[in-house]
Amino acid sequence: MWTYLVEQIHIGDLIVAARWPLYLTALSMPMAVFFGLFLALMRLSSSKMLSWPSAAYIEIMRGTPLYVQLFLVYYTLPQIGIAFHTRALTLDPFPAAVICLAANYAAYEAEIHRAGLQAVDKGQREAALSIGMSEKQSFFLVTLPQAFRIILPPVINDAIAMLKDSCLASAIGVMELLKVAEGIGKNSEVGLANMYIAAGVLYMILSLGFYFLGKYIEIKLRARGGAELSLTQARH
Amino acid sequence: MQSPETTPSEPMLEARGIHKSYGSKHVLKGVDLTVVKAEVLTILGPNGCGKSTFLRCLNLLEQYQQGSVWLKGQQVSAGHPEDHVPSRVEQDQAQKLRQRVGMVFQRFNLFPHMTVMQNVMSGPKYVLKKSDDETHDIAEKMLKKVGLWEKSPCDPLTLSGGQQQRVAIARALAMNPDVMLFDEATSALDPVLTKEVFKVVRELAAEGMTMLLVTHDMDFARDIADRVVFMEGGIVAAQGSPSYIFDERPTEGIRKFLEKG
Ligand SMILES: Nc1ncnc2c1ncn2[C@@H]1O[C@H](COP(=O)(O)OP(=O)(O)OP(=O)(O)O)[C@@H](O)[C@H]1O
Ligand SMILES: [Mg+2]
Repeated sequence: MWTYLVEQIHIGDLIVAARWPLYLTALSMPMAVFFGLFLALMRLSSSKMLSWPSAAYIEIMRGTPLYVQLFLVYYTLPQIGIAFHTRALTLDPFPAAVICLAANYAAYEAEIHRAGLQAVDKGQREAALSIGMSEKQSFFLVTLPQAFRIILPPVINDAIAMLKDSCLASAIGVMELLKVAEGIGKNSEVGLANMYIAAGVLYMILSLGFYFLGKYIEIKLRARGGAELSLTQARH
Repeated sequence: MQSPETTPSEPMLEARGIHKSYGSKHVLKGVDLTVVKAEVLTILGPNGCGKSTFLRCLNLLEQYQQGSVWLKGQQVSAGHPEDHVPSRVEQDQAQKLRQRVGMVFQRFNLFPHMTVMQNVMSGPKYVLKKSDDETHDIAEKMLKKVGLWEKSPCDPLTLSGGQQQRVAIARALAMNPDVMLFDEATSALDPVLTKEVFKVVRELAAEGMTMLLVTHDMDFARDIADRVVFMEGGIVAAQGSPSYIFDERPTEGIRKFLEKG
């Protein structure tokens, strides 16, 4: 069994390659959450100048396949002059994938933020204002920390989804887990199917890691009390 | 109608001709009211007559369309059209006003992600930017005042409603306000818990705190008030001493209101 894993499946190579979904998610997800907060605030704004572009962005990002977006970012952004590297025709695959995952998931995180912010009792803001806080203080000290607890489970959920979506990055040449597994499968008698199973098991282990991380933070937060709410998910 | 013995001495908070509409719904139709220093004023009136709206206009949780609010002889806000977006200066002014005027809500609105102590410290710490030691001392003093010092490390949602409301009062008091507004502070509480909150309010009155209380508890309203204000249909329909309002019942509206309760 062990020799099969090491010599046929090349489990060592797979485990090393498993860092790519982790890297992609660890970089893209925080960006998506951060950018998503801005989108949500724009969306919630009473000014149409702010809410409308945000709504349009969110609908476009959610309404088109990530796969298509990856190709557009990879091939099209450089052509309109946004190149990060010397090769002018395409971006480097890795930053392109990070940007794309972040930009795509920001739309979903924005909706989670929006629902989370709206779920915090209006009386909380009023209580904060009534002791003399500014709108900004009431947002950052009172509303946002409470929204954070509400959005945490769906955000972790999305992080797990992103982990799996990150395999699409192989389409623009990122040598991530799935691509490495395919490479091994094509060049040995072990067979593609077994390699896909092995890769799937590794994704599963990574997902479980995120799941338990989320549960751990949730329990830590719950020990401190506060509002809870489960959001109905837009997808997944 | 105004009874003779209520000539204001040193005005603390004053509303002049407040008009407030929600869309086509004209809720406040020119409310004039002055609270003087150390005065305890209770506001009565039928449901929907605009009592809450009025209190919220006083500290600008709601914008109003006409009139003005004055604190210690200085104008602190003015009416604006309903679609008016407050400027930076107006927001700062509103914030300054709220730092001087405490408010206690029917639903307590304690911050659930903070301990009892952190709730009470939040004003001195984040708004007054006092040192940690000072902040701690103020919060300790206020929690002792409401008899809940031993609850300081607790999660607010683990307290009874009456205790939560007393923490909310301590949180407001920690800002050392000139005036305290209470909007049905005990309506969510049972009689026993109501009593413990009333006890705190009575102590504040004895210390000379200027207060405006909206309440549906007639015995309490009569007992604690220096002056009773009866609102009806978006205006102050009558005001005067508790005996003037409760015994003489100067208007038809008051008679109906008191008989029903
Ligand atoms: N946000 C709002 N939008 C529209 N109408 C409102 C709003 N808030 C209050 N009103 C209306 O304004 C009127 C006055 O409401 P308000 O809450 O001030 O009454 P109240 O005297 O406090 O009544 P209660 O004794 O029930 O607390 C009511 O008719 C109410 O329906
Ligand atoms: Mg009310």
